[in-house]
Amino acid sequence: MLDLSPDEWIAIRLSLKIALVATVVALPLGIAVAWLLARKNFWGKALLDGLVHMPLVLPPVVTGYLLLISFGRRGPIGAFLADHFGIVFSFRWTGAALSCGVMGFPLLVRPIRLAIEAIDRKLEDAAATLGADRLWIFLTVTLPLAMPGLIAGMVLCFAKALGEFGATITFVSNIPGETQTISAAIYTLTQVPGGDAAAGRLVLVAIAISLAALVVAEWLARRAGTRFHGE
Amino acid sequence: MRNRTLKFLAAVALGMGLASPLTAALAQDKTITVFAAASMKNALDDVDTAFTKNTGIKVVAGYAASSALIKQIENGAPADVFVSADLDWMDYGAQHKLIKDDTRVNLLSNRLVLIAPKDSKIGNVTIAPGFDLAKLAGDGRIVTADVRAVPVGKYAKAALEKLGAWAAAEPKFAMTENVRAALTLVARGEAPLGIVYETDAKVEPNVKIVGAFPADSHPPIVYPAALTVNAKPDAARYLAFLRSQAAKAVFETYGFTFLVRPTS
Repeated sequence: MLDLSPDEWIAIRLSLKIALVATVVALPLGIAVAWLLARKNFWGKALLDGLVHMPLVLPPVVTGYLLLISFGRRGPIGAFLADHFGIVFSFRWTGAALSCGVMGFPLLVRPIRLAIEAIDRKLEDAAATLGADRLWIFLTVTLPLAMPGLIAGMVLCFAKALGEFGATITFVSNIPGETQTISAAIYTLTQVPGGDAAAGRLVLVAIAISLAALVVAEWLARRAGTRFHGE
Repeated sequence: MRNRTLKFLAAVALGMGLASPLTAALAQDKTITVFAAASMKNALDDVDTAFTKNTGIKVVAGYAASSALIKQIENGAPADVFVSADLDWMDYGAQHKLIKDDTRVNLLSNRLVLIAPKDSKIGNVTIAPGFDLAKLAGDGRIVTADVRAVPVGKYAKAALEKLGAWAAAEPKFAMTENVRAALTLVARGEAPLGIVYETDAKVEPNVKIVGAFPADSHPPIVYPAALTVNAKPDAARYLAFLRSQAAKAVFETYGFTFLVRPTS
């Protein structure tokens, strides 16, 4: 039905891989930061909150440029990681995953934080009086209750990662098979006269994937809501 | 309440009425729009300044890959003059009735060079048949603009194919959307090698030229210029200025070769 060329399939698979890796790797840090912001008060809390939300308000190209100068081959963090761990971000899908993860991070943190803030502390206190330690309370009471927020955050982060363009193309440019995601492929195709048909096909695929992600997320959230809140 | 709403709407209408002759006046302000290949940026900016000084007509220049520019013109972008970095995209413009054929002129030429970051350990290389670009790049990437569409990329691919170096080097290529983006990546040290025009290498202090592609290894580099079909009358003066002695001097300072006989 949808006659996609091998290049287009590569772009689709790459986009899915990058978005998945970005979301999964960002998740533990996202939960930790969300919990910190929801539950703790400390000096610099407003600053952390601001930093977390920066990618949301900065122009994506600026974020991509900042990533380039810090994680690029000659950047302070990039050079350190390359020399000591062999992790390279320049011109590689790992760099694309990093920029997608950074751009999606605020969207991941917000719903989780709101969900944690909405939890009835008395439930956690009750678990404590029954003998559970802090980590056990977190894993068996807090996290499950925050599940709808977690799912919402992950879906938003995944969707943002799937659609990320400005930061990615500034940081790791546009290499077919390595960093050319669906968005970058569509962009390249629209720059070339005669590429409109292929661009149109990819646009349909992008819409289909996004819709599917949203439907699945809605279903999961409702199931989580029923299981844990008895609605 | 109704009285206040009416007064508010009357104020808005008055505001819009006052604004329209103002915007009309602004539109009539003499300006022409030029779409030119990215590699022309520095030189053409200077030419435009000279033109405005001479004639009082302002020039708004848009620089991008020639392929992107002609695509935008095809979709209705209000350009008056189009300067491409190769003949193919100007031919495309002619085919699709986007330019005035009788105004078309082959304006400039350029040279294709291999560049490296300023502090690179790669020394000068001779680019000749048998040249192994892949080996020179090692495990790094060679960066140039998209070889399928952007002129510099097309010239690069043609040259490497003629020299027998394309097959081995192709997997190592990183492609950007225009030649200046490739230039910047090499200047930043992100890529060990890049293929750009000689004029680009000259304006970027953080790169050095390590080799020049022989002129017969690729189609001749020609920058044609033409008026678009919807060009304003003033645009003809601009095109004439591009062919003048004054413009020639500027282009040649930047390293372009002037192809036409200069007028006055």
